[in-house]
Amino acid sequence: MTTMRVTQNMLTDRSVGSLQLGLSRLAKVQEQISTGRVLNRPSDSPTQTTAAMRMRSSIADQTQYVRNAEDGIGWLGIVDQTLGGMTDQVRRARELGLQGASTGTTSQTAREALASEVEQIRDGLVAAGNTTYLGRPVFGGVTSGSAAFDASGGFVGVPGEVTRTIAHGVKVRVDVLGTDVVGPDGASLFDDLDALVTSLRTGDTPGIRTGLSALEGRLEDLGSVRATVGVRYSRAEQAAQRGRDAVLDLSTSLSEVENTDLPRALVDLKMQEVAYQAALASTARVMQPSLLDFLR
Amino acid sequence: MAGTLSSLNTALTALRFNRVAMDVAANNIANATTEGYARRRVEGTAIGAPAQPAMWSRYDGTGGGVATGATERMVDSFLDARARREHGAQSYLDVRAGVLQRVESGIGEPGDNGVAAAMADFRSGWHDLANNPGGDAARSQLLARAETVAGALRNQAANISNEQSDQRYRLQAMVSEVGTVASDLAATNASVAVAKLNGTEAGTLLDQRDQLALRLSELTGSVATQRADGGLDVTVGGVALVTGKDAGVFQISSGVTPSGGADGLSVGFTVVMGATTTAVPTGLRGEVGAVTDLLATTLPAYADGLSAVARTLADAVNAQHVAGYDLAGVAGQPLFSYDPTNAAGTIAVALTDPASVAASGVPGGGLDGSNADRLGVTGAADGDYQRLVNGYGTEVASVQRLAASQSLLTLQVDGAREQLSGVNLDEETVAMLQAQRAYEAASRVMSVMDSVLDTLINRTGLLR
Repeated sequence: MTTMRVTQNMLTDRSVGSLQLGLSRLAKVQEQISTGRVLNRPSDSPTQTTAAMRMRSSIADQTQYVRNAEDGIGWLGIVDQTLGGMTDQVRRARELGLQGASTGTTSQTAREALASEVEQIRDGLVAAGNTTYLGRPVFGGVTSGSAAFDASGGFVGVPGEVTRTIAHGVKVRVDVLGTDVVGPDGASLFDDLDALVTSLRTGDTPGIRTGLSALEGRLEDLGSVRATVGVRYSRAEQAAQRGRDAVLDLSTSLSEVENTDLPRALVDLKMQEVAYQAALASTARVMQPSLLDFLR
Repeated sequence: MAGTLSSLNTALTALRFNRVAMDVAANNIANATTEGYARRRVEGTAIGAPAQPAMWSRYDGTGGGVATGATERMVDSFLDARARREHGAQSYLDVRAGVLQRVESGIGEPGDNGVAAAMADFRSGWHDLANNPGGDAARSQLLARAETVAGALRNQAANISNEQSDQRYRLQAMVSEVGTVASDLAATNASVAVAKLNGTEAGTLLDQRDQLALRLSELTGSVATQRADGGLDVTVGGVALVTGKDAGVFQISSGVTPSGGADGLSVGFTVVMGATTTAVPTGLRGEVGAVTDLLATTLPAYADGLSAVARTLADAVNAQHVAGYDLAGVAGQPLFSYDPTNAAGTIAVALTDPASVAASGVPGGGLDGSNADRLGVTGAADGDYQRLVNGYGTEVASVQRLAASQSLLTLQVDGAREQLSGVNLDEETVAMLQAQRAYEAASRVMSVMDSVLDTLINRTGLLR
């Protein structure tokens, strides 16, 4: 039978080796606790690293989508508000026209007063058509200028869509082109109002009636444009909410993948500490005695 | 009948032998912690009847004491060969793991400051620009983020090329160490052969020989074979490096210039032995093999992967960017510039004027953001980079695991060698006490013989 020969060097090497092992395990757990992360470098878990990188990328994208949607909500809010104001003004112009038409006996002075009020409304509508958001006219398409309509009501914007990306591959249009609101140049709301003013001044009752029915049509158009804007507004709002939820979900998942499970890590730390202390204590006892202690 | 005084002689051999035993124990104790020292043991042989007695005579003695034999080194050449092989594999994996880990710590993924984070920021910069195509702030921010992406890529590329250059210097230092160790081993071989011829104690020389051969294996994964004259012949990758008292010159033949630069070729070695020059086949182990593999395969592969990511990113962004129009309505210029031979190391932002960022999808200077919106879509570069990091991380993790399991094997073999060759202080103490007691007993034999002879010579025949 052969018994294993053990030398002092073997004991020393093994003790030092196991102390090193214990200490390096302790350092690993300590790193996880002090950085708060289990993934400190790709080799800690290559698969989880890829997952974490994907999630980080998605979080950045979703955060951006939320910002895009919020910006779009700002645009659409202004558009909706402006369209509301315009509807009220057109309605008021129609009321004035009705006054001019129903009272056939109205005096020239009264008709003049009605006509000039309609003119005021027309100017007000042109001003509303030039409403801006952050310096850009919301009805001007992609114009780099500061107005969508000139003083005479002619469209000076540049046709084009202003869109916001509110989710991956999903865009929502946040502007309305001026000509879609008031009609094309030459047959626009402003032209109708101009015609109404002329009819009122001349007391041309059939002309006033034609103008009234035209305004009726404009009110319907405005209503339908407003409805479209409302739909887009709620889409943007829902997208923003979805984006926020996604950021929250992804952050939770990221934390599960990347961050240290603290209670578990602390228990681990305690265990490694005990193991290390045991290794130290046993080393201290094994290294001490020698035959020389017992020889006199 | 044996001679009257033969016991005195027997006691004398015992005194001699036990003194040598004490010397050996003392030497073992003195070298208990000396690196590469194998414990010695003195062999004693009992002196008895001669194998061939003289003619017409017979041996009638009871034994003539002890002959002090050779001092034996407690080693096993098979274990030594095994240890050389495992140490070669271990140093290969250790060096490889060390370098890969250092490069890995420069990657900084997953985190807030790596290339991936810079690319995500760059994308959201495009969205911000799409939301506000006329804003100078959004344009400047976009250019700054483009610069961050390019900087992050350049930074990683620089990390890798610095590591490569460090490893080239390291390789030169290792190769010169191989030369020194090989010529030392050849000189030791010569001394061992001489010592063996004239019968000198060669233990220390053999210790030295084994240590040099082990160091050569750690450096190059070389294989050593025992010679009849006691020396060790060493081959590197099958090419003879040390043959008896002759050492070849191990040198770099390609891949690294004398000043430590790269010459564009793959790293190769030759051994010059006398007038013949032999090329060393690829696939060396040991530290030299590890550095060679890092320089030839691993680091260039990562650098190429990074360059591919940089190229994909720059090409995709540039192609979309030139399809758009800048603030003045002029067609866009490429946003990134790079040198195709080293895309990651040279990628830079080519535009400096914020107005020249082509956010618009329509010509004529309108505030359109559709091109910026298209530029903000996740490209292939993101996924490529994730795959690259994943592949690298997997490689590092695998090398670490291999190194850890190899270290168990190496420890086991080292343990087996230590078990045979290591000095146990208790054992030596016991051997010393044994020798001391035997020495005392032999001295007592002398006194007894003295007293017996005194009786015989001085007292015999005296009546008084």
